[in-house]
Amino acid sequence: MSSRRIRLLIWKEFIQLRRDPLLIRLLLIMPVMQLIMFGYVVAVDIRHLSTAVVDLDHSSLSHKLETSFSGSGYFTITSHPVDEASLRPLLDRGTVTVALVIPEGTEARILRGEVAPIGIIVDGTDSQVSAVASGYASQIVAQFNTDRIEASGVSIAAPGVEAQVRVMFNPSMDPLNTMIPGLIAVILMLSLMAIMSQAVVKERESGTLEQMFVTPIRATEYLIGKITPYALMATAQMLLIAAGGLLWFRVPFNGSVWVVLTGLALFMLTCIGIGLLISLVSRTRHQAQQAMMFLMIPTMVLSGFIFPVQSMPAIIQPLTKLIPLTWALDVLRGAFVKGSSFTALAVPLLALAGFAVVIFGAAIVATRRRISE
Amino acid sequence: MEPAISVRGLVKTFGNFTAVDGIDLDVPRGQVFGFLGPNGSGKTTTIRMLTGTLAPRAGSAHVLGEDVIRHPDRVQRRIGYMSQKFSLFEDLTVEENLRFYGGVYDLPADEFAAQREYVLDMADLHGRENELTRNLSVGWRQRLALGAATIHSPELLFLDEPTSGVDPVARRQFWDLLYDLANRGVTLFVTTHYMDEASHCNRLAFIYRGRIIADGTPSEIRSRHLTQRVLDVSLAGVDAALPWLERAQGVEGAYLSGATLHAVVATDSVLGEDELRRRLVAAGFADAEVTEVEPTIEDVFVNLVERQRAGS
Repeated sequence: MSSRRIRLLIWKEFIQLRRDPLLIRLLLIMPVMQLIMFGYVVAVDIRHLSTAVVDLDHSSLSHKLETSFSGSGYFTITSHPVDEASLRPLLDRGTVTVALVIPEGTEARILRGEVAPIGIIVDGTDSQVSAVASGYASQIVAQFNTDRIEASGVSIAAPGVEAQVRVMFNPSMDPLNTMIPGLIAVILMLSLMAIMSQAVVKERESGTLEQMFVTPIRATEYLIGKITPYALMATAQMLLIAAGGLLWFRVPFNGSVWVVLTGLALFMLTCIGIGLLISLVSRTRHQAQQAMMFLMIPTMVLSGFIFPVQSMPAIIQPLTKLIPLTWALDVLRGAFVKGSSFTALAVPLLALAGFAVVIFGAAIVATRRRISE
Repeated sequence: MEPAISVRGLVKTFGNFTAVDGIDLDVPRGQVFGFLGPNGSGKTTTIRMLTGTLAPRAGSAHVLGEDVIRHPDRVQRRIGYMSQKFSLFEDLTVEENLRFYGGVYDLPADEFAAQREYVLDMADLHGRENELTRNLSVGWRQRLALGAATIHSPELLFLDEPTSGVDPVARRQFWDLLYDLANRGVTLFVTTHYMDEASHCNRLAFIYRGRIIADGTPSEIRSRHLTQRVLDVSLAGVDAALPWLERAQGVEGAYLSGATLHAVVATDSVLGEDELRRRLVAAGFADAEVTEVEPTIEDVFVNLVERQRAGS
């Protein structure tokens, strides 16, 4: 093996990359675009839901209840329909997503010591929004009751259980904190697979591949020369995402850099391997592109990048374990959010190591065989 | 000095398909050796085994005295290869392509400078060093590819259909360059399916369905394999006349040759120019012109293939 020939191959690859301005732009714009897309559009926290209050009671109690809703920050009261009939069009048009209905005589019932039902209507069109909204609403009502009992001076001396739900690891429940670590792995996968799958097939189409193997260039030298430039570029893309996530979106990083780097290195080998394998089975660049798309959609859907694995049907869940990205997300999210150590992440790291050995190994062996056939 | 190429019983199979079926080849040094055959007959597979990029199933292959199957690395510095795709990096400039191939062979700076100058002269590319290869026209690309393939001054150059897709003028110019190389002592191993190019070669081997069915100098092949006479039949209704000729008594073979038909007849046949013309006119081909012609290499090979087909 000659390091001089490897340098020559890398030099050639970088010139070719430079001559493809569209590719460079795509590679730089893609991470920035994804960061903005996932940072601002997809993953915003649910706040300021537009809310209608139908107050039929007009009592001091109903005013207090309304104030605790508007004061929570989750609900912004945008209208006061006079009755339930005029509420309906607001919900239909989507002007409001939540409505609070306080029936006539609510205060009177409570003063009599009766249970007073109030109505909370949530637009269920978006299941995620409605689940979060009804959760917040029940919390506010519960808090309202507690405050009222304490204020009345009645002491509840009897021992009781008070449930205090505490969200661990991601106390602000900010989805960005899990989205951005995941994005690092996704960008790595997208750009490496896209480029590697084109790399060899392009040289086979142009005949330069067979030409190179009549020269003293060895298969190993060729592969190192081919992989290095794109591995470097993917690293640059990851750094861009990580910097944007940590500095701009202020995603907290609680873990060890070494855990993250180990996970990413193993995942990188896997992605290079998949790309090379696609390149080998494809006869044209177009075929390689189709194969990429074929793999990409199940990967994005089943890995848990967008939809949590826990919410998938039980039959599907074992399938997610076959997707390398699933494990890469485990490592990155674990390290970023929970600060998990090597020991805590042993299973996903070992799974990634297994994928790296099998897929990258198979790709190298297959490429060498294909070249010498 | 050992021969440039010496092959015994070389076999290559792909699954059930036998691409090369036990061929023997001897190529002396300093010759232009033509390796001819229709598409898919095993030409490229043979070249790939001789350049050490494909392992044979059986047989031996010595190139420049080295066992190319066991030690391809000992051979690869001393040979050059140019394929019909020209194999240049289209998104690199002329200069960068030369620099790359020069670097691959580890040429020292002074030697590279001299070779670069030679290639730019030969390919007539002075002043266009910084042009992208993609933007060169086919003839220039072909000459640059030849330059890149010979930048390390190989002793033996393999050319796999180097003139396919190139116009006739550029093809002739290209053969002039090949003669220059041959005159400098380089052995050339050229495959082609242009039969007129066969006459440019010192020696020929004809491969058909993985087997060599004829070899020797062009005149040897002509005298050994075609003892019959060839009559050239020129007329307007070529398509209708061909089946008639194929069935005609005394005609041993008939085929299209360019715009006219060739009919092969035995040396002692009564069929001559006049007799064949008379019969053609009688059969309704009133405008038929018949002339006896000197058999070309193409006639020999078409005949050989016809005979192989009839025999198999």
